[in-house]
Amino acid sequence: MICAGVDAGSRTLKIVLLDADRREPLASAVVDQGVDQDRLAGDLLARLLKEKGLRRSDLRAVVGTGYGRKLLAAVDSTVTEITCQARGIRHCLPDARSIIDIGGQDSKLVRLKENGAVADFAMNDRCAAGTGRFLEMLSAQLGTRLGEFGPLVRRSRSPAAISNMCVVFAESEIVGLLASGVEPADILAGVEAAIATRIAAMSAGRLAGPVVFTGGVALVAGMDAALSAVLDRPVTIAPQPQLTGALGAALLAAERRRGQPVQT
Amino acid sequence: MDVFRPAHYNVQMDHRPQRLTLDQWDRRYAELKSAGLREPCYGGPLRRHYDDGDLRLAKLRMDDSPAALRLWNLLLSEEDRLHQARAGGKRLLGAMKDLGTVPVMAYALDNLAAFYVDGAWWLPCLMENQTGMLELADRYGIDESYCPVRAMLGALVSEAHFPVPDLMTCSVGATCDDVASITGRLTELGFDILWWEMPHRRRPEPGEESVTLPGGFYAPRPQVDFVRGELERVGAALEKLAGQSLDDDRLAAGIARANRVRRLLTELRRLAYTAVPCPLPALEMLVAEMLAIHFCSDQAETTAVLDDLLAEVQTRSRAGAGVLDADAARIFWVNPVADLRAMNLLEDAGGRICGSDYMLCHALDPIPEDLAPMEALARTALADPMVGSPLDRAARIAADARRFGAKAVVLSRIPGASHCGLECRLIGETVRRQLNVPVMEIEVPPLCDGLEQTLRTRLEALVETVKENRRR
Repeated sequence: MICAGVDAGSRTLKIVLLDADRREPLASAVVDQGVDQDRLAGDLLARLLKEKGLRRSDLRAVVGTGYGRKLLAAVDSTVTEITCQARGIRHCLPDARSIIDIGGQDSKLVRLKENGAVADFAMNDRCAAGTGRFLEMLSAQLGTRLGEFGPLVRRSRSPAAISNMCVVFAESEIVGLLASGVEPADILAGVEAAIATRIAAMSAGRLAGPVVFTGGVALVAGMDAALSAVLDRPVTIAPQPQLTGALGAALLAAERRRGQPVQT
Repeated sequence: MDVFRPAHYNVQMDHRPQRLTLDQWDRRYAELKSAGLREPCYGGPLRRHYDDGDLRLAKLRMDDSPAALRLWNLLLSEEDRLHQARAGGKRLLGAMKDLGTVPVMAYALDNLAAFYVDGAWWLPCLMENQTGMLELADRYGIDESYCPVRAMLGALVSEAHFPVPDLMTCSVGATCDDVASITGRLTELGFDILWWEMPHRRRPEPGEESVTLPGGFYAPRPQVDFVRGELERVGAALEKLAGQSLDDDRLAAGIARANRVRRLLTELRRLAYTAVPCPLPALEMLVAEMLAIHFCSDQAETTAVLDDLLAEVQTRSRAGAGVLDADAARIFWVNPVADLRAMNLLEDAGGRICGSDYMLCHALDPIPEDLAPMEALARTALADPMVGSPLDRAARIAADARRFGAKAVVLSRIPGASHCGLECRLIGETVRRQLNVPVMEIEVPPLCDGLEQTLRTRLEALVETVKENRRR
């Protein structure tokens, strides 16, 4: 049985095709979001199916998640990203008890029960501090692509103190730091520490057990270390962290189709 | 005003109860009128309030019962009622930062109509910011860093909504920093306010006489005596305003009438929050609970409206009829919302309210009738959740959430409201520790349209979590 999960996030759109019988992803893709995300999702789903020699009628169930989930005509039902992340992480890392999910425009903390169900969660979607947006702003300021942050942050010797948690004010602060000669590597390390601090504040009393880091920001070099330092505990990056929400959606699609949980 | 007692106000229920949009209510109203609906003098279609500027009604879904229609009409006609009261010779009392104390005293007197000036905080929502009240408050230095209750400053200065009261009272001290600042500014603008002080409720020291308060709290005797003295001072001002003595008999009768409202609400809450399926939407329950503190400027009509609502809920419960699916997730809601639409969003997401603490739980507890009346009022005032330790409030919320069988708790913050920065954290920790259920914080501004998607996501995620936990 083939199922799919579509994660319409604020910055990127992700799809996972799942072989529900073998409990393995068949194919996946990530593309930048656009204005017409329904068409984007439809085209991407069609492309993945074609690559695998499948037809739309081979898909038995499709679950949509993410910020734009309500706009997707291609899905049979929708589930929030909180539940989908929990399901996806349960599949990849069954021992995980806490999820930190930092996306383009929001961040979430999810505490899991031993059976993988959501015990509690918190979200920040009112402030760009603590989200990928902060890093995108920095990328523009430094003239460096996000993918080049890894080598850069490793050069930091003395992370800059970023006092403004508001992205708008922080932008001015970073201009000032650059003008005063602070190394870009130190500014980047400072911003990553500031994001981690914001996450730690949101996590008060919620983190437990092994912590898994997911979402697009998990791909940014140094962020896991920054989180680990602030939270004072190991933080593991999920395999393919951008895709865990879509994977969870695909697993839930299969469960809904069968009326029972897919064994992980 | 003579209280309207309809002989057959409740038209026989011949359909499944539901929540209606304003357009749907237009048709429903026509049907009800055709079926013989009789209404009080403030009755009429909800559409007329929209036409008068209450634009938010077009984005709400409201219960379809005649009882709910009467509730909404009572709420939305309050300004007219106040103008009529003044024209009829009544003296008006504006009770600020008062969750159900001074209005009880005022309605013990014949010639007073008391109202809750702070209630203006819902006008920016109801009128979708078309009032200019917040802009006026801005102009007088009370900006958006304050609670939306600042709208009352704009309402008083503009006199565009309710008449300026003949007397305004306001509790200060341990109550609310925002209201204290706003009323301070009102004084600078020439408004005469009679303040009465409310101390921070503390636990009795060893050797100090301990007084039991409604809600199971305790306070030391000197604090109760102090508050009683403050209320006696307010009572003297009310006597002067009304030209009538507020003796113990009169006050005791007033307390008995207030308790009738409280008992009605207690029973309404018990049924509405426990019956399956949910017999009355969260929105109407929120409005109904608010009646406890100010009676919407007419105590007798409030009682009649609640009688009607309770009868409707009893009828629905007996018939097993409700407005939501039977499997709706049971959510306990903490704090009132600045945008009424948030209550709809919870239900749209698959949840139902199964308990609430809109910061006025003490106004739902009966005022002791076996004590000297002013002593009883003082004890009730000191039971206000805002004047004690947040831990006291958290403990009560946890106990109520357990009693009502809540499977999750929503802590709804009000932007700018600053009465206790610690409160949500402490309530969340207490509930998690004692009930082991998910707790979610949200912030609801006066108009949440721009945040609707994110609010929906949070509420849907909470409902999914509850249902998943139920399944496992």
